[in-house]
Amino acid sequence: MSQAPMPDFSSSVKLKYVKLGYQYLVNHFLSLLLIPIMAIIAVELLRMGPEEILNVWNSLHFDIVQVLCSSFLVIFISTVYFMSKPRTVYLVDYSCYKPPVTCRVPFATFMEHSRLILKDSPKSVEFQMRILERSGLGEETCLPPAIHYIPPTPTMDEARSEAQMVIFTAMDDLFKKTGLLPKDIDILIVNCSLFSPTPSLSAMVINKYKLRSNIKSFNLSGMGCSAGLISVDLARDLLQVHPNSNAVIVSTEIITPNYYKGNERAMLLPNCLFRMGSAAILMSNRRSDRWRAKYKLCHLVRTHRGADDKSYYCVYEQEDREGKIGINLSKDLMAIAGEALKANITTIGPLVLPASEQLLFLLSLIGRKIFNLKWKPYIPDFKLAFEHFCIHAGGRAVIDELQKNLQLSGEHVEASRMTLHRFGNTSSSSLWYELCYIESKGRMRRGDRVWQIAFGSGFKCNSAVWKCNRTIKTPKDGPWSDCIDRYPVFIPEVVKL
Amino acid sequence: MDLLCILSSLLISYLIFKIWKRIDSKRDQSCYILDYQCHKPSDDRMVSTQFSGEIILRNKHLRLNEYKFLLKAIVSSGIGEQTYAPRLFFEGREECPTQQDALSEMEEFYIDTIKKLLERNKLSPTDIDVLVVNVAMLNTTPSLSARIINHYKMREDIKVFNLTAMGCSASVISVDIVKNIFKTYKNKLALVVTSESLSQNWYSGNNRSMILANCLFRSGGCAVLLTNKRSLSGKAMFKLKCLVRTHHGAREDSYNACVQKEDELGRVGIHLDKTLPKAATRAFVDNLKVITPKILPVTELFRFMLSLLLKKLRGNPSKGSTAVAQAAPKAGINFKTGIDHFCIHTGGKAVIDAIGYSLDLSEYDLEPARMTLHRFGNTSASSLWYVLGYMEAKKRLRRGDRVFMISFGAGFKCNSCVWEVVRDLNVGESLGNVWNHCIDQYPPQSIVNPFLEKYGWIREEDDHDTFKIREEAM
Repeated sequence: MSQAPMPDFSSSVKLKYVKLGYQYLVNHFLSLLLIPIMAIIAVELLRMGPEEILNVWNSLHFDIVQVLCSSFLVIFISTVYFMSKPRTVYLVDYSCYKPPVTCRVPFATFMEHSRLILKDSPKSVEFQMRILERSGLGEETCLPPAIHYIPPTPTMDEARSEAQMVIFTAMDDLFKKTGLLPKDIDILIVNCSLFSPTPSLSAMVINKYKLRSNIKSFNLSGMGCSAGLISVDLARDLLQVHPNSNAVIVSTEIITPNYYKGNERAMLLPNCLFRMGSAAILMSNRRSDRWRAKYKLCHLVRTHRGADDKSYYCVYEQEDREGKIGINLSKDLMAIAGEALKANITTIGPLVLPASEQLLFLLSLIGRKIFNLKWKPYIPDFKLAFEHFCIHAGGRAVIDELQKNLQLSGEHVEASRMTLHRFGNTSSSSLWYELCYIESKGRMRRGDRVWQIAFGSGFKCNSAVWKCNRTIKTPKDGPWSDCIDRYPVFIPEVVKL
Repeated sequence: MDLLCILSSLLISYLIFKIWKRIDSKRDQSCYILDYQCHKPSDDRMVSTQFSGEIILRNKHLRLNEYKFLLKAIVSSGIGEQTYAPRLFFEGREECPTQQDALSEMEEFYIDTIKKLLERNKLSPTDIDVLVVNVAMLNTTPSLSARIINHYKMREDIKVFNLTAMGCSASVISVDIVKNIFKTYKNKLALVVTSESLSQNWYSGNNRSMILANCLFRSGGCAVLLTNKRSLSGKAMFKLKCLVRTHHGAREDSYNACVQKEDELGRVGIHLDKTLPKAATRAFVDNLKVITPKILPVTELFRFMLSLLLKKLRGNPSKGSTAVAQAAPKAGINFKTGIDHFCIHTGGKAVIDAIGYSLDLSEYDLEPARMTLHRFGNTSASSLWYVLGYMEAKKRLRRGDRVFMISFGAGFKCNSCVWEVVRDLNVGESLGNVWNHCIDQYPPQSIVNPFLEKYGWIREEDDHDTFKIREEAM
């Protein structure tokens, strides 16, 4: 990894103070410039003396008409200015689905099922065991009821009932928390990557809650684990156009129809990692929601690396030799994720980094490209821009890789690791479980900035920046309420099974 | 005094500059169709009567009742001899499709249409800023939108959305997304790709409400280029005037009118309920209620209100139309005052007839939809664009004309939009129009389906148990 482009005093304590002073200087440059100007004006005023000032004041002829006109103009212009500002989009509240204890899949259950279902291929069972040992998952992750059967019974009815269970529970919870009435929803976006029945899941939600007939509904699918942020992007664009509206986003992944029944190794990996989960989010652009909203959306950046063939093929749904469908994860998934992240950072960096970091980055870039100096590329310190990080809990390797790339400490990635441990990889809703973890730990203060990063098939990297609107009290209910005191747990490298 | 003047004028001019910038960002929000390209699959995928019969006979679960039902359905479907089906049907593999079949069906479609579209407009794939893909019955990882981005090497910062399961009205929903994005972002070019995947959705059982879907849907697709760039507005074909979406999912009977589910033996198919026409009518009426005030001139609305008032005052329930009104209520309002052309989703002959009746349309108005149904079948979400292509090929579209697009979808939704023709499309040749090769043969003398002639004898068969297909029918 890279270091600051001054290798000589890298171990010196003085460097820390130099860095701090430099950051302070550059970030507050304009305010620091104001001080000498104000000093000059103050000196001038003192020099002139009170009589001269009164003379200057009297020489200004203020006609009543002039006064009225100019004040009217000022009021008019400021009204138009404030009315045509781009609308701020708030996240009012969200709720995550807590699966029932009966759906739990401890390691022992998983391995027993695996041995019974794959009894003809012990090597695949061995492979699954090794994956599970190093996965970073805990003993309390959940799979839908249909998968608990031996063999699993993934019929369309079962898939629909899983969808109903996870989505309706999360939405009921959201309605209770926010006091939202179903008939007040203006926009509904549902994203579920792998299950898409006709009528769509969005129609299912509209049917259950009897939503209005002029609702704008959208059903996104196939967009992978980053679809949650894509839905937020769509909601934001729609809320810019429709004043005084709210949007409900449902992010989920339905596991039932997608359990791989074959024995091809690269395709057994998703079986070990993906778990049941969902989240329902309420977003709004109403001024009245400003006071109770939890977060404000600052930026959302999407990067799509589909043009590159290697990135495109790294998460690919295909049939194995026996015709069974499953998702093939390629071996260089980590490298591709790292590259996609770099592409995303180059766009989001200038938007969020303080001026000091950007200047350093610019200087190092100039030095390397123009003067051809042998400096290592400078990785900006994102810890200065954000207080909390929510990295998609795609797997232990993804979190490790990102921690290394962004030079984050253990505490920054704690939310991601603990979510992976308690809930597994719940695909697009994992970011919301992580956010809920940070809130449950009482770490979210007003003004804190959160960075959510998600990856998805294709290969996409999407990131969202939120700013906390009010200090959030530890929630009494929610998916972490009964176990937050046990966390953080220490997750060993390998859990011997 | 001078100092004050200068300072205040500076301040005011700065504020004016800011206001100008804000106002400027609100312009260029109109949504224009630059061009569109429908897909004509290759001729070796044409489904003739002979071949339809063969496919039906391949399904060993069907009995006499089902044959009679199918005969009735196909004969009255309004579908002709030149519609297209996926390749695997011709290889006899419709009951065991693979993932690759579905993907190659889609590839054949988008590689052909998008290439033609971009070449004709001299654009490169990296010029596209927004991509919306909607294919109702196919859901792959990576999504179809990612496939298209990979094939054409589109930009990294492209805004992409992949919609599925939204039924035959998904085209209008995609246009809705693009319309909203155009209001926030200036100078963008959007590509909407719409199609239907039939390869993996053949129903191999014998539930009657589910085999109907087998007969109606055909292969087809369309790619549409939309933009809000001022520089391209001169070359544009259509401008979006308004778009209205109605969703009746809250009603149980509307929601259950079209559901994908498993039959008693676990085979997946799309169940089309008998109450589907009623659900469609309800949704259509609600949609009309919202869109009519936006598209008809005030004089017509006034006249309609007056006539309603007079009817109420007279206390005269119109007896004559109660019987027919069960199928589709007559609107009583003349849509021709505000709309010149009607683009009706080719869901089936019944749908076109019902809409024609309720909007009081003539045969001339319904001709594009009927001919599209005859030539291309029900291509689901992309059917609207084929109907539009017919109108263009028949040189009906003049500058200032208004086109009303109506579509229905599972759920139950009715989405409609109105386009205004921006430049004269009835001069010169419409390049790349999918009807170019055969427009002179339309409308044909008769659109009676030869299916009746060939298989009509099934109607006379009565004995269910010993019924066997005669040799000559094979």
